Amino acid sequence: MKKIFEIARWEYVEKIRTKSFIISLIITPFVIILFSIIPTMLSEDNPDTTRVFGLLDETNISFTDLNEELSEYKLKNHQPVYLLINLNVKEKSFDENQNDADKKVITRSIDGYILIYKMAKDSLRLEFRGRNFSGSQDITRFETALNNIALKQRLKANNIDPQIINFNKNRISFNQIKITDSGKSNTDFLSVFYTSIIFIVLLTLMIIYSGQMLVRSLLEEKSNRLIEILISSCKSEELLTGKIIGLTALGLTQIFIWAFIALVLTGINVISTNSLQNIPEILVYFILGYLFYTSLLVGIGSVVSTEQEAQHVTSYLSMILIIPIVIILPAMQNPQSDLIKILSFIPLTLPSVMILKLNITDITVLEFAITVIIMIISIFLTIKISAKIFKIGILYYDKMPTLKELKNWIFQK
Amino acid sequence: MLEVKNLYKRYKNIVAVDRISFQVKPGRIFGLIGPNGAGKTTTMRMILNIIKPSDGEILFENRKSFNDFYNIVGYLPEERGLYKKSKVIDLLLYFGSLKNMKRSIARNEIMVWLNRFGIKNLAYRKIEELSKGNQQKVQFIASIIHNPKILILDEPFSGFDPINQQEIKNFIIEFVNSGKILILSTHQMDMAEKLCSEIFLINKGKEVCSGELADLKKRFGGNHIRIEFEGNPDFLKIHEMILQYEIFSNYSEIQLRDSIIPSEFLKSIVDMTTLTHFSVIEPSLNKIFIDLVKQSSSKII
Repeated sequence: MKKIFEIARWEYVEKIRTKSFIISLIITPFVIILFSIIPTMLSEDNPDTTRVFGLLDETNISFTDLNEELSEYKLKNHQPVYLLINLNVKEKSFDENQNDADKKVITRSIDGYILIYKMAKDSLRLEFRGRNFSGSQDITRFETALNNIALKQRLKANNIDPQIINFNKNRISFNQIKITDSGKSNTDFLSVFYTSIIFIVLLTLMIIYSGQMLVRSLLEEKSNRLIEILISSCKSEELLTGKIIGLTALGLTQIFIWAFIALVLTGINVISTNSLQNIPEILVYFILGYLFYTSLLVGIGSVVSTEQEAQHVTSYLSMILIIPIVIILPAMQNPQSDLIKILSFIPLTLPSVMILKLNITDITVLEFAITVIIMIISIFLTIKISAKIFKIGILYYDKMPTLKELKNWIFQK
Repeated sequence: MLEVKNLYKRYKNIVAVDRISFQVKPGRIFGLIGPNGAGKTTTMRMILNIIKPSDGEILFENRKSFNDFYNIVGYLPEERGLYKKSKVIDLLLYFGSLKNMKRSIARNEIMVWLNRFGIKNLAYRKIEELSKGNQQKVQFIASIIHNPKILILDEPFSGFDPINQQEIKNFIIEFVNSGKILILSTHQMDMAEKLCSEIFLINKGKEVCSGELADLKKRFGGNHIRIEFEGNPDFLKIHEMILQYEIFSNYSEIQLRDSIIPSEFLKSIVDMTTLTHFSVIEPSLNKIFIDLVKQSSSKII
């Protein structure tokens, strides 16, 4: 036991002192905060000046109506968001008008224009022409306005008071509230999204980072034969366990420091308290996930004997770890899908998927218990298997062993 | 006493160590010698309990491998290296504690050793800041810091300048004189010849010969002379009394046929060349090594 402690202590103290660890400790939370703030800022980025759009309407009937519809949208200083100008010059042909309008766009005298073609059978074709694709918000507004106009004209033609359309404006929209057993409720989509993504990205980054560190340090020990001194001083199981404990302690230190940063940020209202409600469960998955990958990597890392192989190993690892991040969006749309169910039982993806699920749906005590037991059993088995690979792998200086060789190592008595 | 009995190790289709047996007595330096790839390292690893033999056993004081064994053995591997970013003192403390030393005791011991090797002032430096020679010293200290009962040194002199080689040699003699077990593996035959009382020569996993160095010399020595002369050495080529010879820059070592008395040979060559030196010599360990390895290799092939 004493030796395990000494090994853990060495791994912990020597790694925590490294510059790269300190840098990652500080930089990672900031990168994540940046990642979570920038998209929010981008999606809410409303321009604060009036923009000029043109209208070129072959039917020549909708300018006044559209102008009226668009005048509803106001900037903060009560100026209109859109200024609509009619580009239809009666003396010119439609094609000439369109050429002029395009020129105006290019010379930036207008931000873009709406083009309405008259088609056969009373139908219309719409185009938006601009230097850039306009924001989806603008297009939605234009669409709504034009649809309203069309509807009003139909209503008028059928002698119905077009005012009826105004009822439609008080549209009902859903606020999604997640109801949980504890009676707490979660807020909106974005907050769920970001809480999930923050934890999953954190876990991923931590595993990738410490995985690299682990593989590299094993490689160092192997290539300069330090490993031979180590295992002539203790059992390889002790060395393996010490390394796993040391690295886990390192990971926990990271988590606690980050948790502290998170608390400070909550204090100053950068992160909403709502998004921290599942913290104990999230931490359980987090630690189990970290422990699982660390034990897996000690085994895999021990067979690596060149820098190149180390890179291969860590890049394959990153690929597996990316899966949960890729599925965040589909998972949020359909948390009950089969794929999510399957992934939430595979130890490689379980922790991230469960962290995600914790935020989207309510998981039962049974589900929690089952997944935690799966993780604990997997960790136990992984350590057993890793120990077998480790024992031979650390003295193996040739090329990477084949899967068949690995199998032999694992089942060797 | 350390006993190796019928030690056998095979990897898939390769037999690395093929049923070798020997005894290492305390107080006597045991030289494990052989060409590259002979099975020396595998043998040492099995003694160190790093790898398990496929067959055979290793006994220390009549006991098979036991838990405390890790703490009484010291090992200096041939290829050197240390944690580059760590401080000398931290690293040595770590290795000491892995050998079950108390930290406070280890700290004192470390200082004593650093002092002996003249690098006490480097204790708080990082390994990477040390010169190569000083790194070697640290590694050597790491293998002996816990005062082991069994010490296995693989090429201990490589990388050291003559002054430090002397220091290492003094340590080795001091160590073994205190009644401990020391296995020395080296390619430096002159060092082995000076230090080892017993030799075990291994090639292709098999024992080639073993025993006391003096006995070996008698057994495999043959009839050796050394001559120095001026002029063309061609006369050696055709001389029928010569079994084999080797020409060095300013002298030649000659092995005569067993039946030849050296003085007869002297008489036969005085007219052939201008002789400046003639002496009867013992063959060097180097010579025995080369001959035996060549012989055994051709037998095995």
